[in-house]
Amino acid sequence: MTTAETEQSSKLREQIRQVLNAQAQPTITVLSSLIAVQDSIHYLPDEAIKETATFCGSTINEVWSVASFYTNFRFTEPGDKTLDVCWGPSCHLVGAQQVLDSVHAALEIKEEGESPDGKVTLKYNTCLGACAQGPVIAINHHLIGKQTPESAAKIARELRGQSS
Amino acid sequence: MADGTTFKIDGRDVVAKPGQTILQAAMDQDIYIPYLCYYPKMKPQGSCRACMVEVEANGRKMMVASCTTPPMPEAEVTTNSEEVEGLRRNVVELLMSEHPHGCLTCHRIELCGPQDICQRHVTVTDRCTICPKNERCELKDTVRAVELDLRTPLNYHRRDLPIHSDDPFYDRDYNLCIVCSRCVRVCDEVRFDTALTLTSRSGVALVGTSHGTSLLESGCEFCGACVDVCPTGSLTERNYKWEKAVSEVATVCTNCPVGCQMIAEVNKFGKVVRFKADLAGAANNGQACMTGKFGYEYTNDSSRLKRPYVREGGILRKATWDEALEKIKSGLGGRSSEELAVITSPRGSNEDQYVAAKFAKSVLKTANIDSALNADNALLSRLEARLGAGAATNPIWDLENSKSLLVVAGNPTEEQNVLAVPAKKAVREGAKLVVIDSRETELTRYATEWLRPKPGSEALLIAGISRVILDEALEDKEFVGSRLDQAEELKQSLWTFDLAKVSRDTGIEDAQIRRAARIFAESDAGAILLGDDGLTDKAAELVVDASIDLAAITGNLGKASGGIFPLYRGANTLGARDMGATPGENGRDIAEMMSGMTSGDVKAALVMADGVSGYSPTLSSLPAALENLDFLVVSAALDSEITHHANVVLPAATYAEQNSSLTNVERRVQLLRITAEPKHEEKTGWETVAAIANAMGGTGFDYATASDVFTEIAQEVSNYSGLNYERLQSGGIQWPVDSSILFSDEASKVTVVALNYDELANSAESGSLTFAPGRVLSQPERDVVVRKPADMNYVDREQFVQVHPDDAKSAGLNEGDVIQVKTDDGHILARGKAVFDSPQVGLVGATTLFGELATKMHELDVADWTPQMPGLGYSTVTLESAPVEQEAGAAAD
Ligand code: SF4
Ligand code: SF4
Ligand code: SF4
Ligand code: FES
Ligand code: FES
Repeated sequence: MTTAETEQSSKLREQIRQVLNAQAQPTITVLSSLIAVQDSIHYLPDEAIKETATFCGSTINEVWSVASFYTNFRFTEPGDKTLDVCWGPSCHLVGAQQVLDSVHAALEIKEEGESPDGKVTLKYNTCLGACAQGPVIAINHHLIGKQTPESAAKIARELRGQSS
Repeated sequence: MADGTTFKIDGRDVVAKPGQTILQAAMDQDIYIPYLCYYPKMKPQGSCRACMVEVEANGRKMMVASCTTPPMPEAEVTTNSEEVEGLRRNVVELLMSEHPHGCLTCHRIELCGPQDICQRHVTVTDRCTICPKNERCELKDTVRAVELDLRTPLNYHRRDLPIHSDDPFYDRDYNLCIVCSRCVRVCDEVRFDTALTLTSRSGVALVGTSHGTSLLESGCEFCGACVDVCPTGSLTERNYKWEKAVSEVATVCTNCPVGCQMIAEVNKFGKVVRFKADLAGAANNGQACMTGKFGYEYTNDSSRLKRPYVREGGILRKATWDEALEKIKSGLGGRSSEELAVITSPRGSNEDQYVAAKFAKSVLKTANIDSALNADNALLSRLEARLGAGAATNPIWDLENSKSLLVVAGNPTEEQNVLAVPAKKAVREGAKLVVIDSRETELTRYATEWLRPKPGSEALLIAGISRVILDEALEDKEFVGSRLDQAEELKQSLWTFDLAKVSRDTGIEDAQIRRAARIFAESDAGAILLGDDGLTDKAAELVVDASIDLAAITGNLGKASGGIFPLYRGANTLGARDMGATPGENGRDIAEMMSGMTSGDVKAALVMADGVSGYSPTLSSLPAALENLDFLVVSAALDSEITHHANVVLPAATYAEQNSSLTNVERRVQLLRITAEPKHEEKTGWETVAAIANAMGGTGFDYATASDVFTEIAQEVSNYSGLNYERLQSGGIQWPVDSSILFSDEASKVTVVALNYDELANSAESGSLTFAPGRVLSQPERDVVVRKPADMNYVDREQFVQVHPDDAKSAGLNEGDVIQVKTDDGHILARGKAVFDSPQVGLVGATTLFGELATKMHELDVADWTPQMPGLGYSTVTLESAPVEQEAGAAAD
């Protein structure tokens, strides 16, 4: 390991250890520990699996079996901002697919995930609950309705710090 | 229920043993019910549903999974009705949707057999011919048994996953996995390693490791248990991956004293192409280890010695047996008995050892005979002197029910691997484990109490434990009263073991000694696993004395799941002792032979070199010592640093080319069986020695078969009386015949001995620095990076050296400095960042990962690599700061 890798990893481990130890509820499990870590640093790096294994007296593989079971855990660092695009039925009827296509292009990705610069995480949503405003997108859970492919792409580019 | 349940399977009366499920009862009766997730000796899981049967009981009919359902009395079980078969077929069809099955379900199967080339029916990439387990996987049997015959093959979804072939010894191709989870469960509930796990969920569930990491990091011990249980081509041994076997031979692993029973698969050319643990093996219960599972193949090596060689004009030239024997006759003959030495192979059979001992005694008339790995002689001799057997008092698998375990100065998970499997099982099921060891080993990670004393003070610590037991009146009073001889003397002597003094001289807090004592004394059955790593002969004897005393006062002798298990090396070290292949009166042991060769007192020797390596920690000076001899005869299977100085080299048959017997640590005499006749002029050990003896005019060496030799053994060696090959056929017998637990006779007495405080305290080292290297399977608290420079994975992580602050201070070193650990002769044993957490002044530690060792062994360029497995040996060292140009974390050499 290079010195830089080691340092970064031990900082992360320290941060995770603090989160694990700060759990106050009476029952502490592998699952509660993973949730605590994800709540705090928004994803489960490899260090989180290992520290949880050590903390719970378990093995990395057992912890992984729990972590990989739940789709809500994520294992890569999220982007700085989240962009949800609704592809629920109502939005779909009024052009969500085209909105999504243009967002993909603006973020330079083909599916859910992070833009290559790590600035934006794209998530598909099955209904953001504002169907009348469709097509709907959300930035960091803040809803914006009545999107067009152009307006959504502009927002996506702005989130990446690119001028529109 | 106690006598089992009577019920019917397909109209046949069947009695299930208590606790058995329908499937297990059926298997006992040779009634076949398909199954996939179930595997013998593992807990039923009930997830694949391939084993569905119909049960009619109390007027109700239901479909159940036979692997999880116990039979109800008088139930009628149907395994072959149309309904059952249809249901099973549906289940297996679903399983097939993610496994290539074109060939498995093709209606032409009887015509072409999937091993053939198909012209049209199945897409090339879906054919069984591209699977390494073609025609030998279990899945095809299941599919055929349920008569899956699809006119229109199901859609098959290929997962398109990369094949993992970058870890040592075995490959993982999860494209072929049917997620039966046998591998995950065997690793977890049988091996207790949890190196594999179920990943993800529902439709995408699979097996694997955390984050898909390498097995090097996941805690794998490369025991191969998962490979043995996998019903598909998903997990396969890399060597001979595509080879099919034509026969299977039950034999025994010759790498350590556990003596695991193995099944050798032999191909049509007589090569041993696979070793798998024998489920019926009494010593191993279906388990094996890295060396046993993967270290068998040297017998097939093309560099095997095929014929005798004699040295002429400095070089070895090919010769006939007659020429070689003529040379030996003049080379060994006419010498005084003190000049001669015979070293037998640690793998040598009882027959080999017996004939060699007879030869040494009656022909060479020398007392200098020993088995090469008998470096644990002090441990075993003392046990023999005190208990009548330099062996385990109880069967190995007794350990699974022990309630507490005390492991002293031994590393069984690596050195006697399968003996540690039931021990780990006991711990998983709640037994308490106390480890007395200065090194960090796999077992210390399971320990309830890990006592890490000053090296050499182990015996004192054990005596301290006994003292606490007396103080707190925790001894087994009945046993002490009725079964001990000299109990009073022992008690009196223990009063001189003041706990404060013991604590000071061992470096262990008295509270921890008390906790350890309570654990051991308060459990119903406590076993002691006794090694001698790092101990002088004297210290080893004292450890034996103190341990026997401890076992005796706690009533753990003659009791199931109690007892003492010596952790020695060499598969047949015990057999060699039994046969008399140990030093006679005034004879030299292996260490004295080596020093005698170096000093010139020993001038000629016969070495049976199979499994003998100068890389073994206790034999490192052997190659140099042999160089001094006037005359050396070596019988060996392969060329090595041992054969290099020989005047005559004789080709030896391997384990695979002989019928013979070996005796394991639990006194079980087991048969090695021939898998193929020697192809050239190789001879077994006893044949070789008998030929030499005859050439030298010895009498009584005209044996026709190994069985003849054994008949003589049974007459001459009292513990073997009553044994013969016939009786050994079915899995081996423990000596003395029918005594699986020594001292179980209520009338037998155990003699305890008084302990002398000063003697015990003086065996501790003082003044010098001792390096106690550790090794564990996994250390999640420390970072590991798995790198893959080419096509193999390597562990890369920062190294730490544990030092005591006082020692660092005297060496002028600070915490965090990059330091190196150096032996007197300048060898660097470890290099890394100094951390101040050694518990003892004088103790230096460093822990590596087993994965690093596995890679090293896998890459060794020698055919017979198992004797070169480096143990965790102690060394006297000095500390110094590492040269600056060394980056922290550079691997130590
Ligand atoms: S080889 Fe490794 S993964 Fe397989 S059972 Fe053994 S320890 Fe577990
Ligand atoms: S790898 Fe083999 S044993 Fe493991 S789940 Fe897959 S098919 Fe079963
Ligand atoms: S435990 Fe010993 S006998 Fe068993 S497979 Fe391993 S080396 Fe062979
Ligand atoms: S479907 Fe898009 S907000 Fe409901
Ligand atoms: S073998 Fe019974 S459910 Fe799998």
